[in-house]
Amino acid sequence: MTTTESRPTGRKPAQLVDMSWDPITRIIGNLGIYTKIDFANREVAECHSTSSLFRGYSVFMKGKDPRDAGFITSRICGICGDNHTTCSNYAQQMAYGIKPPPMAEYITNLGEAAEYMFDHTIFQDNLVFVDFCEAMVKATNPGLLARAERTDAPRGEIHGFRTIADIMKAFNPFEGEVYKEALRVSRVTREMFCLMEGRHVHPSTLYPGGVGTMPQPSVFTDYLSRLMHVIDFIKKAVAMNDDVFDFFYEALPGYEEVGRRRILLGCWGAWQDPAVVDYRYASMNEWGKAMHVTPGVIVDGQLVTNNLIDINLNMRIMLGSSFYDDWVNEQPFVTHDPLGNPVDMRHPWNQTTVPVPQKREFDGNYSWVMSPRWYHKETDKHLALDTGGGPLARLWSTALSGLVDTRYVKAANGKVRIQLPKGESLPETTLEWSIPKWSNTLERDRARPYFVAYAAAMALQFLEESMELLRAGETKVFQDFEVPDEAIGCGFHEAVRGVLSHHLVIKDKKIANYHPYPPTPWNASPRDIYGTPGPYEDAVQGQPIFEENGPDDFKGVDIMRTVRSFDPCLPCGVHMYMGKGKTLDVVHSPTYGASHG
Amino acid sequence: MGRIRVGRPQVKPDTPTHVPGLHEGNRGPYQEQVGHHEDGTADSRRSTGIRTRRHNAILDVMPNIPPG
Repeated sequence: MTTTESRPTGRKPAQLVDMSWDPITRIIGNLGIYTKIDFANREVAECHSTSSLFRGYSVFMKGKDPRDAGFITSRICGICGDNHTTCSNYAQQMAYGIKPPPMAEYITNLGEAAEYMFDHTIFQDNLVFVDFCEAMVKATNPGLLARAERTDAPRGEIHGFRTIADIMKAFNPFEGEVYKEALRVSRVTREMFCLMEGRHVHPSTLYPGGVGTMPQPSVFTDYLSRLMHVIDFIKKAVAMNDDVFDFFYEALPGYEEVGRRRILLGCWGAWQDPAVVDYRYASMNEWGKAMHVTPGVIVDGQLVTNNLIDINLNMRIMLGSSFYDDWVNEQPFVTHDPLGNPVDMRHPWNQTTVPVPQKREFDGNYSWVMSPRWYHKETDKHLALDTGGGPLARLWSTALSGLVDTRYVKAANGKVRIQLPKGESLPETTLEWSIPKWSNTLERDRARPYFVAYAAAMALQFLEESMELLRAGETKVFQDFEVPDEAIGCGFHEAVRGVLSHHLVIKDKKIANYHPYPPTPWNASPRDIYGTPGPYEDAVQGQPIFEENGPDDFKGVDIMRTVRSFDPCLPCGVHMYMGKGKTLDVVHSPTYGASHG
Repeated sequence: MGRIRVGRPQVKPDTPTHVPGLHEGNRGPYQEQVGHHEDGTADSRRSTGIRTRRHNAILDVMPNIPPG
């Protein structure tokens, strides 16, 4: 049993209605959710998630200069491109056998911290909260809004709203106070990002081997002053989120079942520790555990492993309901890892993408997304891990491992304690995130502002440490290297919405195979060869419906809340769709090398 | 590319990624980059070309920090 168990209840005869949302709005890319809703028992009976976009990064990366990989893969996404550059650089550094100077690591870490703060804020407050705003709740659950008007907000002294309904009004798009403030904050955090990585979202100053950012005092003080401007907003965001989500649990008993799935979470770790990391495969376990967000695979609330080598070797890319041909008969690229462990044919190092466009059939193939799974040796099962939208898995894994013990963030005993300094109006605050009882919609959403606080606290530490280095004159930011003839590399990082890995094989100084695996292929995967549904399908299937509207004016807000809680970002999941009748002109202008061939 | 019907490729897949003799950024020759020293430290010539010695640290034990 690799999926969530169904909920036994006294059931009425099913009254099934087909409902579909394709494309789903307020996310990136083209995701369709096709459901059968049982209005008699008020629950979702069946769910299929599909994507109609094909992206051939792994196809056209072949034969390119590996040094370009970070710049090309950044274009996978329009919001977390820098995560791809960073991850690609990690993989390349392993392949080239180099370690960037500490200052370069700090600059990368600071840029990534700003990215987490920016992206989570804009997604949560401007996209997710539309599902929780007054206008939406009025249209879907008028009874709930009436109750919210009568309920005082317990943390009102922090965020300044008297009732829950006041918070919901502030969430209203385009006019609500929180909505507008979040846009301002996401601008400031993006400026912080640009100070470190040069440009948002495709960084211009991140290279394999280091960075091109000039480490001068003003870069760090400009970053710090912006961070201090947004620190109070973060404290308020955590308090507001807790108030609203607690209210949902209280006012709608059983809401914990919405989007609940078996606890199967994956986190690949973020922010390298410059003192430990050397990018060697053999020591990946040590430097993986030293990361400032601990990697981990969590099954039923238990930590299975936090060893990056195990995590790497047990990755499997499955087919089953995807528009691709199998590659098992192709030549493997990597039969053994540098430690001598065998590498499976279904591992990203050995994958070959063979696209086969076809008609969408829900009982056959229905998506361009493949089905990444994690092989669990103990149970001999291929687990459909999800990322909990990113923050949930990161906090969960860090809390369970209890390895993070830094100046402002401490993880121990299933808790993550985050200390934020005094801001413009609010005093020094300690926030505590505890492992929740469920992996469900509200907990995924709740973890997001906590992780913004986590990123802010880590950024403070990175700033202090980088300024110490700067004062000591350690301003080297780049390590020279040569591209080897043959090499392999893998990079593990956390994209904003969850796990991110890049697998690279170099032959003749060129890319022989390159496979980026971002979070959304994990989350939006269709049913695999064993029939195991992907996380979206699993979470939506069987979830109860709390919306008061009937089949005629059904909005599906509970389903949308569930899907959006995963922070879907399809471009990374699946490449070029030109539409009908549009021609793409390709102009190739070689500067040097034109004489070749 | 599986069974997808595709056009003639505009780029030859065996085009060299690098032409020998061309400058490669990742192999930075320190002697050609003013202000950068072999040990990773730098002096004021990295930041300015004007009266550089006046902008260096006044004692050897002090670090050279960029002016920004």
